[in-house]
Amino acid sequence: MPTMATPHRVSPFLEPGLRTKPGSLAVVQLSRDNFLPVYLQEHTGEHDGYIEGAVVNTRFGSFPHSTLINVPWGSQIRASKVDTGSRGRKRKRQLTENSEGATPEPATNGAKTDTAEPDDADAETALKQAVADSSGFVHILPPTPEIWTTSLPHRTQVVYTPDYSYILYRLRALPGSTLIEAGAGSGSFTHAAVRAVYNGYPGTTPRRKGKVVSFEYNEDRYHKMQEELTQHGLDGLVQLTHRNVYEGGFLVDGGRSPEAEAVFLDLPAPWEALPHLSRRRPTTDDDGTEWVSPLHPKKSVYICTFSPCIEQVTKTVSALRRLGWVDIEMVEIMNRKLHTLRDRVGLNLQVDRGVNNSARDVDEAIARLTEIEERFRENVRPSRGEDTEMAEEEGVSRTRAAPRTEEDAAAPTAKFPWQDGQLITRGEPEIKSHTSYLVFAVLPVEWSDEAEAAVAAKYPLGKEQKVVGAMDKKAKKAQRREMLEQKKGDRKSRRKERDEKLAEGAVV
Amino acid sequence: MHSVVRPNAWTVIKLPSGNTRVILVVPNSTISLGKYGSFPANLIIGRPYHLTYEIQDKKPDEDFCRLRIVPTEELYADVFADEESSACETPSAEVPKPLLSTATGDGTEITVTENGELVVRSGREASDVLVRQTLTQEQIEELKREGSNAGKDVIEKLLLSHTALDQKTSFSLAKYKALKTKKYIRRFQMLPVDIPNFAHWQLEEREPGKIMDMRAEMLGLVECWGNAHFSGEEAYLEDPGATCTQGEEALAPIRPELLKGRWLVVDDTCGLLTAAMAEKMGILQPDDDDESDRNEPQQAPDSDDEEQPEVAPKKDGSDAEMADVPGTADKTGEATAKRPPPKPRASDFAIPFSQTNTITILHAASQPNLSFLSYWGFDATAPNHPPHPLVNHLLSLTWLQLLKPELDTTYSIPALTAAPEELASWKPSRRGNFHRKRRRFARVRHIVDATRTGNFSGLVCASTMDTVSILQHTLPLLAGGAPVAIYSPTLEPLARLADLFSISRRTAWTSGSAAETVDKTAEELERWPGSEDFPLNPMLLLGTSIQTSRARQWQVLPGRTHPLMTERGGTDGYIFTAWKARPAEGKVAAKGKFKRRKLDAGVVVEGEVAV
Repeated sequence: MPTMATPHRVSPFLEPGLRTKPGSLAVVQLSRDNFLPVYLQEHTGEHDGYIEGAVVNTRFGSFPHSTLINVPWGSQIRASKVDTGSRGRKRKRQLTENSEGATPEPATNGAKTDTAEPDDADAETALKQAVADSSGFVHILPPTPEIWTTSLPHRTQVVYTPDYSYILYRLRALPGSTLIEAGAGSGSFTHAAVRAVYNGYPGTTPRRKGKVVSFEYNEDRYHKMQEELTQHGLDGLVQLTHRNVYEGGFLVDGGRSPEAEAVFLDLPAPWEALPHLSRRRPTTDDDGTEWVSPLHPKKSVYICTFSPCIEQVTKTVSALRRLGWVDIEMVEIMNRKLHTLRDRVGLNLQVDRGVNNSARDVDEAIARLTEIEERFRENVRPSRGEDTEMAEEEGVSRTRAAPRTEEDAAAPTAKFPWQDGQLITRGEPEIKSHTSYLVFAVLPVEWSDEAEAAVAAKYPLGKEQKVVGAMDKKAKKAQRREMLEQKKGDRKSRRKERDEKLAEGAVV
Repeated sequence: MHSVVRPNAWTVIKLPSGNTRVILVVPNSTISLGKYGSFPANLIIGRPYHLTYEIQDKKPDEDFCRLRIVPTEELYADVFADEESSACETPSAEVPKPLLSTATGDGTEITVTENGELVVRSGREASDVLVRQTLTQEQIEELKREGSNAGKDVIEKLLLSHTALDQKTSFSLAKYKALKTKKYIRRFQMLPVDIPNFAHWQLEEREPGKIMDMRAEMLGLVECWGNAHFSGEEAYLEDPGATCTQGEEALAPIRPELLKGRWLVVDDTCGLLTAAMAEKMGILQPDDDDESDRNEPQQAPDSDDEEQPEVAPKKDGSDAEMADVPGTADKTGEATAKRPPPKPRASDFAIPFSQTNTITILHAASQPNLSFLSYWGFDATAPNHPPHPLVNHLLSLTWLQLLKPELDTTYSIPALTAAPEELASWKPSRRGNFHRKRRRFARVRHIVDATRTGNFSGLVCASTMDTVSILQHTLPLLAGGAPVAIYSPTLEPLARLADLFSISRRTAWTSGSAAETVDKTAEELERWPGSEDFPLNPMLLLGTSIQTSRARQWQVLPGRTHPLMTERGGTDGYIFTAWKARPAEGKVAAKGKFKRRKLDAGVVVEGEVAV
C-alpha cells in the first residue's frame, strides 16, 4: 500500500477546491439524473485523434477536456465544434485546418477562453482552440459519493444513498474512526464511508486517522477497485485486501488488528464472517495460535449487515445473539423520490404536452355544453322558423354569449404557462421497493473483573447525596428548596458558577 | 465519542419498557429510575457503554442497591430456548426439568423450567376472554415490594396465576411474557449521548416539534446530501498584534485562499442539525477520548505529548479570546489545561476561529438557539468558554449582519481605542470591558466579512422560515458545485421551491421571457433579487430533487419475524437537494445534436435541454 509520508494529492471527493484540476475526477452532468464521470486530462501532445485533445462526446455535443479544466465547479460548459467523424485521418484534417487560416472566433464562454493555452501553438501537435457549438451544454460537478453512486461502473449490486446514509448514521462512522467493510463490491459504500471517517491523510498529524479497511473476494473486482481508489486519491485512506473473509478474517498487514469501531458486511452469508468479529477467540476454532481481535478493544463496536433475503437476516440475527451482540435491530429503508409538476386542466389552454384538455370545473363544463346546445339550435332553426324570429334569437344568443367570453377573460390566467395549473407532486415512475434488510447491532467492550475492581476503587460508594432522575414528591420538594437557596447571590456569582460547571464538564 | 461513562456527562439510560431517560451522571449521587429502582451513580461511572445492568436487591448491611451486569446469554435466554425447541422437531422430544408446574382444570400443563422458560402444552385456540389474572393489584404491589430477584419473581408468579395461560398460543404467550417483563424487570442499559440516541429521545419522548420532527433517516440523508465531512486541518489567521491605540485598520484582513470547507447552516431545530453537522465534521466533541483511554489503564506517557501541538493553539485561542476579564481567564484556562509554559497573550484582534472546517450559522434572532449543544458541553452564550472544538469552529451571525451589516451596532460602531497610559489608569473591570468590546468587534467583523466573501462548501437548512427567501440570500454565497440540502417536515414548501426550478421556467428564463434579465451581468444575475415571475434565478441550482425515506422496523424472532405493528406517524419529513450551478454568460443554445437532419439546422428542441 502506498501510504505514509508520500506527499498526498487530496482526493477530489474530500477537498475538491474551487476549480477543476487536470488529472482529477470530475463529473459531467448531462441531464437531471444522467452523470458521466470524467478523468480530466491535460493536453500531452499525444492526443486521442482529436485536434482539441481528449474530448468527451455526449448526445449534447462534444466537450474537449481543455474546456473542462480549470473552470469553477458547477460551471455550465457549452459544447464545442469537434470533428468527430474523421478520427484516424488526423494528418489530413490538420492540413485542411491550417489552410483554413488563423483561429476562428473565440468562444463567448468566459470560463473557457482562458483555458486553451496559447503556448500549445508551438507544441509539436498543436492543440486546437475549442470553438463553441450550439448543440448543447453540460455542467461540471465535483465528485461526491452521492453522484458517484449514480454514475459508477456497476460490478455488483450498489448500496444506494438512502441506505448508506442511514447505515453510516447508525454506525456512528465519524472522523477518526476505523470502519471494516467486507464486500467492497462496486465501491459506492466505500466512497461514502471514507468521507465519513476522513480526518486527514495518514502521517500528516499525530492524531489517529480515520480509515476504511475493505475486503473483496472477487479478484477481478479487487483489481478494478484498487485502480479506482488510486485514481480517486484514496490510497492510504482505504486499505483494500483481496480475501475471503469467511476463511481469512479481518486482520490486516499480516496479523495486525485494524481496531475497528464499525463494521459493514455486504456478504451473502454474514454469519460465517461474524465469529471473526469477536472480542476473544470464538469457540468454533481452536488451533492453539494467538488470536487477535480486529475490533477496537476499548470501544463499543457497531455493525450493520446488508442482506436482501429474510432467511439471511434470521441466520445473521441468530448468530449475532450467540456472539453477544446487543441492541439488535432490523430495518428496511424505503425511499421515494418526488417530482413536482403543474397539473393543467382546462378547455381553453393551449395544446401542449402534459395538458389535459377537458373541463376544469363544472362551470366550464356547463359553458361548453351550453355553447354546443346553442350551436345545435342554430343549425336546426332555419328549417323551422321565420326570419324575424330568427334575427331576434340570434341577438339573444349573441348577448348571451358575450358575457361568457368576458368571464373567461376575467378568469385568472397566468402570464406564463408554467405558472398555470395546480402544483402537484408525483412519485417517480419506478421505485426501488426493496433494496436489502439492514441488521444493526452493538458489541460492548468486554468488562473484566479486574477492570471493574480498578474503577470501583476510583469511584467509591457511600457518599451519595442528591438524587438524579425520577423522584417522588418529597425528594423533589427538598431539591427545589435547596436550589432556591443556592440561587441567592448576584448575577456575577451565578455566572461564575455556570462557568465552573462548564469547565468541570470539559475537564472530565 | 466517549467509550466509558464519564463523571458529569450526559448519558442515555434505556429502560426495559423501551423508554429512554437522559441523565446527567453526577458522581456521588443516586440515580433513580422510578418504579425500576435506584442505584448509586458511582456504580456506572467509568464503566463502558452498552452494558445492561440489573438492579439487585439491597444487601442487609447496605442502604443502596448494587448492580449486576447481565450477560447476553441471559438477555436472549427466551430466544435461545425458542430456537432450541424449534430445532428439535417433536415438542416432547426432550422435556426440560421442571421447576414449577401447575395443572389447570382441563388437563393442560404449564411448566417453568430451569432456565426461566415457560412451557405450555395445549393445542387450543386463543381465547378472547379478558380478565384471567387471579392476582389482585394489592397482591402484585406486595410482590413488588418484597421484590426479589430483580423483578423476575413477580413476572413468574404473574404468569403462574394466569388462569387462561393454557389457552394462549405460543405467540400470545410470548407476547404476554414480554409485556410483563417490560413492566417489572429491573434492568437498564447505558447508552452514550450521541446524535442518533439524542435525536431518537427528542423525537419519540420529548418534544418532536423542537427538532421539526426530524427522523433518523432524514438526518442521515441531510448529512450525506449536504456533503458534511471533515475538510482540512484547522488553520488560523496570524495575530495582527494590534495595540490598544489601533482601530479598524489593524484588523487582520480576510484571506479568501485560506477559507476552506465551510458549511452554511440555517437551524431551527434548537441545535440538533448543527450538532449533527459538527459530529460529521469531527468538531462536536474534544478529540481526547483516545488519549485518556490509553492513559487510564496503561499510563502511556507518550500519548500526551502527541496531542499537545495540536491542542495547544486551540486552547490559547479560546481562552484569551472569549474571556471576559483576560487576566483571570488565562489563569483558569491554564489551571484546567495543565499547560505550564504560558504563551504571550494574543492581541485583541487575534481571530480565534479556524479558517477551515467550520460551520456558519445564520439566525433570525439576535442570538442563535443552540440549546441542545449543551448536551455536548458547549454553551453558545457563555462568554468565557472552556476549550471546546466548537468554540473555534462555530461562527454565527444574524441575517441583519449578513445582509445589512451597516445597521448592526457591533459591526458598524468603530472599535474602541485608548492610549496605554490612559488604559493603565483605569480600574481592572473597565479595562476588561474595553478589551472584551474590542475582541467582540474583531470577531464580528471577521465573521461577517468572511461570510460575505462566499465560496461556502455547502448549505444545510432545517428552518421554519420561507426557504425561497433563505435561498435568495444564500445562493450567491455558495461555491460552484456546492450541495444544497433543505429539510422540511412537510412536502408543500419544498414542492413550491422545486417548482421555481422547473424545466419550463428555466427555458423561459434562458429564452429571455424575463425582461428584467436583459443586460444583466452574471454577477448581477447571481444576486438576482427576485421578481414576481422569477422569485429565484432558476439557473442557479442543478439537479433539484425531493425525496423522503422511511425506515421500517422489523421484529426478528424465531418463527415470528414481521414488521412492527405500530410506528411513529405524523410527518414523514422531506429533503430537497441540489447543487449550485454557475451558468455560462450570454445565451446558451441547446438544439441537441441527436436530431440532426440535413434540412433543419436551428431548431431548438426544448424538452431535451440538459437541466
